[in-house]
Amino acid sequence: MIRTEKICKDLGEFRLVDVSLEIDDAEYLVILGPTGAGKTIFLETLAGIHVPDSGKVFLDGRDITRLPSRLRSVGVVYQDYTLFPHLSVEKNIRFGVPYSRIPEDKSEERIAELTELLGIGHLMHRYPATLSGGEKQRVAIARALITEPKVLLFDEPLSALDSETRSRLREELRRLHRHTQITMIHVTHDFDEAFLLGNKLAIMNEGRIVQEGEPEDVFRRPNSRWVADFLGANNIFQGVQTPGEGLSSMRIDGLTILTTSRVSGSVHVCVRPEDILVSLKPIESSARNVFEGTIAGVSNTGTVINLEILVGKVPFVASITRRSFYDMGLEPGKNVFVTFKTVDVHVF
Amino acid sequence: MVKRLSPGRLLRTRSADLGFRTIALVLCGLVVLLLVGALVALITRTTPQDLWDSLRSEEIRFAIQLSLLTSVASTALCIIVTVPAAYVLTHYRFRGRGLINVILELPLALPPVVAGMALLILFGATGFGRSLADAGIQFVFTKQGIILAQFFVILPFMYRIMKTTFQGINPRYEHVAKTLGCTDLEVFRRVTLPMARNGLIAGAIIAWCRALGEFGAALMVAGATRMRTETLPTALYLNMTSGDLTLAVSAATILIGIAFVALLLFEKAAGTARIF
Repeated sequence: MIRTEKICKDLGEFRLVDVSLEIDDAEYLVILGPTGAGKTIFLETLAGIHVPDSGKVFLDGRDITRLPSRLRSVGVVYQDYTLFPHLSVEKNIRFGVPYSRIPEDKSEERIAELTELLGIGHLMHRYPATLSGGEKQRVAIARALITEPKVLLFDEPLSALDSETRSRLREELRRLHRHTQITMIHVTHDFDEAFLLGNKLAIMNEGRIVQEGEPEDVFRRPNSRWVADFLGANNIFQGVQTPGEGLSSMRIDGLTILTTSRVSGSVHVCVRPEDILVSLKPIESSARNVFEGTIAGVSNTGTVINLEILVGKVPFVASITRRSFYDMGLEPGKNVFVTFKTVDVHVF
Repeated sequence: MVKRLSPGRLLRTRSADLGFRTIALVLCGLVVLLLVGALVALITRTTPQDLWDSLRSEEIRFAIQLSLLTSVASTALCIIVTVPAAYVLTHYRFRGRGLINVILELPLALPPVVAGMALLILFGATGFGRSLADAGIQFVFTKQGIILAQFFVILPFMYRIMKTTFQGINPRYEHVAKTLGCTDLEVFRRVTLPMARNGLIAGAIIAWCRALGEFGAALMVAGATRMRTETLPTALYLNMTSGDLTLAVSAATILIGIAFVALLLFEKAAGTARIF
């Protein structure tokens, strides 16, 4: 288990403020945040490149705050691969062997296993300059894994790759994590990576962890306007809520939405576009929020179609599949019903 | 959208571009002509026979030997000192770092004669210099003095090149090496130095060429004694002042020859060096 306790570090341009995180063994933590949020210095502090100004880092209960990198068993894979250009692929992978506790004869076995696992056996004699981005990143991962680190840090490992290679490598990272059961911490600004890889998600902004939890949870229940905006959540409205019996009702611009939250007063609500059902007639269901509105706009994102639906003065965004869009024959100006459950209304 | 230009304006912009290119090319050509002209004038001053005779003269042979010896020695010393200095100043933060950097680059702005005079006073007219001399380490009017003077003059060049080379290496390579288990020394030996290879070769050759031609500072510290502290530039100077123009021009021609060969070797080294 790796744990940080109120780490602060000021590097001028980038900084960390009171970062406390706990990552269990074999967990895959994804840290999501905009550029300049301090994600890279956080990783480099875990790796021992920076000593925090204050706060502590613990690995398996041991204080490693001031321990040099080489004694930490923490591996790093950077976005720009950082393969040693003067060494062949094989020598790059073997680089850490002399310093590790793996005996010489076992290291051969391990190299064979790793190159097999990552599919880079045929590249061993080549030099980094002749490799493609995906190949470089696989070699960089093998080089980090050879020393059997307890924690593996990824700094935007897929950002420099084309989208096809990226999704292939993303799958491989998942497989690798299942296979090795190493604790992984992965920094990115790609939402797909956060969802597909992480079993824990932390959102970082201006050097702070602003929210953490299961990825699904964080996406559904952002705890602040900033997180909601950053995660691209639509349908964020401000209104006044009054708790009633069982459910609370909330007034937004002449509209009353029912929620399960018990907070009273001025609040924000958020309903994710994919949680809104669109139909031509009112749907028979247990969902309590049903409104009639008019389609004001249609935008095709390729995978789904986003509809802008005006309910009174309140604009909702709903995501539906292309198929249902064509089946219902929707077009701007058409009247539709929007339906969503009270539990899908997130109040903050 | 690209703005459509009228044919007239298009022609005017094109001719403006053409004019700029022509002026730049003409200026470049003039400089090349000046350089080639000066060198050809010098080389054609001697006949091959004169050059051959000079090469066989004891004085010129001595000067060639001394020049090669001192320049190689001073370059080697310079590498030994500047590589760690540039490494320390680019990799560690400490008080006085900026000041040390300025001091190391200062000789760049110093006329070599002034540098030579300063060295002469330090090693000839202070208690420090005298106690060194008493211990048998004599710099004033000796061959060691030539090496010292050359070292002093080429130091800032080599330092600057090594500094830029080290700065050009992404520190993440070193970070990765550390997480893989390297100590700072191992990172330097296995990552930083190999990655700095091209800069090191280029720096060493430039430093050596400058050492070979160094005259002013060496003159102040080591003097210009025939067959004692006579390097090729000194031979040129001595024979020029004593009126033996043939020997003087021969010395100059040999210097050009050595520099030319060095440059060719450099190109070859840079060519075979793996391009990262």
